[in-house]
Amino acid sequence: MLKKYLGKRVLYLSLTLVLSVYITIIIANAGGMIDDILSAQIKYDITTNLARSPGWSQLPEAEKVRLITERFTSAIHAKGLDKPFLERTFIYLWDALTLKLGRSMFITSASGTKQISVIILERLPRTILLFTTGTIAYSILGLVIGLRMARSPGSLFDRITTFFAIITQAIPPWFFGIIFILLFAYQLRLVPFGGMVSVPPPSDPLNYAIDILFHMALPLFTWIFSMFGSWAYITRNLTMQSSQEDFVTVARAKGLSERMIMRRYVLRPSLPPIVTSISLSLIASWQGAIITETVFGWPGLGSLYFQAISILDAPVIIGLTVVYAYLLVATIFILDIVYGLIDPRIRVEMGQ
Amino acid sequence: MSLSRELKDLSQALLTSKSGKIGIIILTIVFGISIFAVIYVPFDVVSKWNEPTFWQKNPRTVAPQWSTFLLNKELPPTINVASDEFNKNEYFVTTSSLKYVTLETLITYDYDAFPSELSAIIYANYTEQGPLAIITLERPDGTEAVLYRNILTNPVNRLYISSDRDIRNNVKSFLINLGVETSRTIYPEICLFAIKNEDMLDTRKARVLKGFYRIRIEVIAAEESDTAEAEFQIYGQVYGFAGTDSNRRDLFIGLIWGAPVALAFGLSAAIVTSVIQSLLGAISAWYGGLVDEVIQRVTETYMILPFLPFLIMISIFYKVDIWFLILIIVALSLFGGVTKTARSVTFQIMNEQYIEAAESYGASKRRILFLYIMPRLLPYIVANIVLAVPAYVFLEAALSVLGLGDPMVPTWGKMISDAYSGGAAVHGYWWWILLPALLVMITASAFAFIGYALDKVVNPRLRER
Repeated sequence: MLKKYLGKRVLYLSLTLVLSVYITIIIANAGGMIDDILSAQIKYDITTNLARSPGWSQLPEAEKVRLITERFTSAIHAKGLDKPFLERTFIYLWDALTLKLGRSMFITSASGTKQISVIILERLPRTILLFTTGTIAYSILGLVIGLRMARSPGSLFDRITTFFAIITQAIPPWFFGIIFILLFAYQLRLVPFGGMVSVPPPSDPLNYAIDILFHMALPLFTWIFSMFGSWAYITRNLTMQSSQEDFVTVARAKGLSERMIMRRYVLRPSLPPIVTSISLSLIASWQGAIITETVFGWPGLGSLYFQAISILDAPVIIGLTVVYAYLLVATIFILDIVYGLIDPRIRVEMGQ
Repeated sequence: MSLSRELKDLSQALLTSKSGKIGIIILTIVFGISIFAVIYVPFDVVSKWNEPTFWQKNPRTVAPQWSTFLLNKELPPTINVASDEFNKNEYFVTTSSLKYVTLETLITYDYDAFPSELSAIIYANYTEQGPLAIITLERPDGTEAVLYRNILTNPVNRLYISSDRDIRNNVKSFLINLGVETSRTIYPEICLFAIKNEDMLDTRKARVLKGFYRIRIEVIAAEESDTAEAEFQIYGQVYGFAGTDSNRRDLFIGLIWGAPVALAFGLSAAIVTSVIQSLLGAISAWYGGLVDEVIQRVTETYMILPFLPFLIMISIFYKVDIWFLILIIVALSLFGGVTKTARSVTFQIMNEQYIEAAESYGASKRRILFLYIMPRLLPYIVANIVLAVPAYVFLEAALSVLGLGDPMVPTWGKMISDAYSGGAAVHGYWWWILLPALLVMITASAFAFIGYALDKVVNPRLRER
């Protein structure tokens, strides 16, 4: 059952991925953006290649131009750039899906290459480091607090946390980020105001790790601060719904301990819908990373986005959008697996 | 079940719940500010906001006036001496055939801090030969500083006393005459207003010399008909209700203008997307079958699309203004979470008897959808609109921070992003970040509070035991 369920999800998510990448291509190329980028890069490649070949400088100018144009047209033809718009978009779609993202215009990776896939791969782990840590931390915190709220609805603790949840739900993390940076970094000088490591970075690995943690403290705190409230609130509502079910009353009548009731009868049926609602907020926060990372100067995918926007590096923007499409689909897939594992309707049949 | 009863339930719930009341009160204030902004601000902000000359008479990045109460220190406001506030004295000496124009004014400077900048404008009305102008500052301690002595070559002469090099040299020789060591950088706005001692050049140790300052501008011209006017600005350290930014713009005007822009942007985006999403959800449930299947799959796909990257790409590759941005946002959120809720609510409504009755007397499917189902969805739509507004207000702010917003309209997001890129955090210009941030947060929270109150009505399962 899990296999069948996951197979269906993989098929569906692959279709979604193809669609989002295709929309990316259409948006980018409706104004001929990708066409221009590609032909400029092909031309550049041909010219530099020819210039390196022996005897090139002795050739007359007209001959040079003729050779370049000739190779250019054949390269364009080989690549399929002279085909009609619709056909071209499918060529680009395949390139994008196989992550052949081409070269950037200005941005280089730390190793000095302009290959967009290399640049993005260099940044991806940093984004994942920050956001996975944050997500795990706030989900645990939110779950614990939400269960506590559900135990005594209407109490002072419940009301205060609900109030907090309403406000933090309406205000995005990057916004708290700006205020916290102002407060903790500039006024109180407790934490660095941006970046991932000090300049120059510490040389031995232990200090390096500590340095990263030090820089991660504020973004992580902000992330958890702004997310855990709404998760606690969702958990509270869902567990309260299931704790009103008859089987909970029966369990209580049987004399089971509150702890046992909570774990077996209340939390278990509430988990699948909690995962569903969290998957939506995760998608929002992945995209919010573009601004959050920019605010904190965290050198991940998000600030790469910002960098590319500010110097108008179109190939990087397109490449990043493609990677984002992958990232969102991958996130949903992972949550689908989690869902499959905790939803008894799917899991139980798998065990048989 | 009539439409009015559903809405009455909603408004009653709003007025009885505490969070609803708080939200309504805040929102009324924000609406009030919006109306006030549209009526009170006497010019077309959109055209003036980005015009630097319009704001020239304001001090640069200074705190709001009320911050004097917080600091318990009398910070100087800006003193503008207009041309008609100068005492004008003119006479023509026939023997030397020279025209003397003397402009004089007396200023009381009783503040605890120095001005932030000094500048003067001399308007010279001459026929051929440019006149000689001398600006002198007479200090309360009797000393006199000649700030400027030069032939004017233009009809309008703007003198930046704080940054002009000749004037700084004049100030330097004034200090040398006083016998003060002049090895430090000279800030005319400080040492001209400082108590005479060896610390008068030190920005930290210098103390303000309080009292009457006389500004004298003498213009000596060649023709009897020649004349001159002048303006003098002593820029202060506080301004207005909300201070100024690095372009000397009055932030108060930007702040109150941000209110109608934020409300219009947030509400229009929220209303259109919520209505469309609910309608699609209702259609999905009501028509069922293939329609339902398609709409559900499309919705799920839509929810995984990289919405913000798409939005960024569109606003970069095709330059757009703020209203076109809303169109794109609507197009990118035709389907969404609301489609799902509206669908499940419609399923509940469909089982009710009055729908069956309508079907039995032959009402068409479309008629039932629009006249009997959609009105019942209204409370959900209203709650969703209210809950969605903050997200759109912040979306606009986020796009501004990324530099993708409409550069012409002063929005709260634009002000925060200006403050951020203008180094407000580093320099401690708290008002520049905090005031717009506070307004966005308060407005967003108001919608969130109302949305929470409404949500409890439309989703009764959320009610406390």
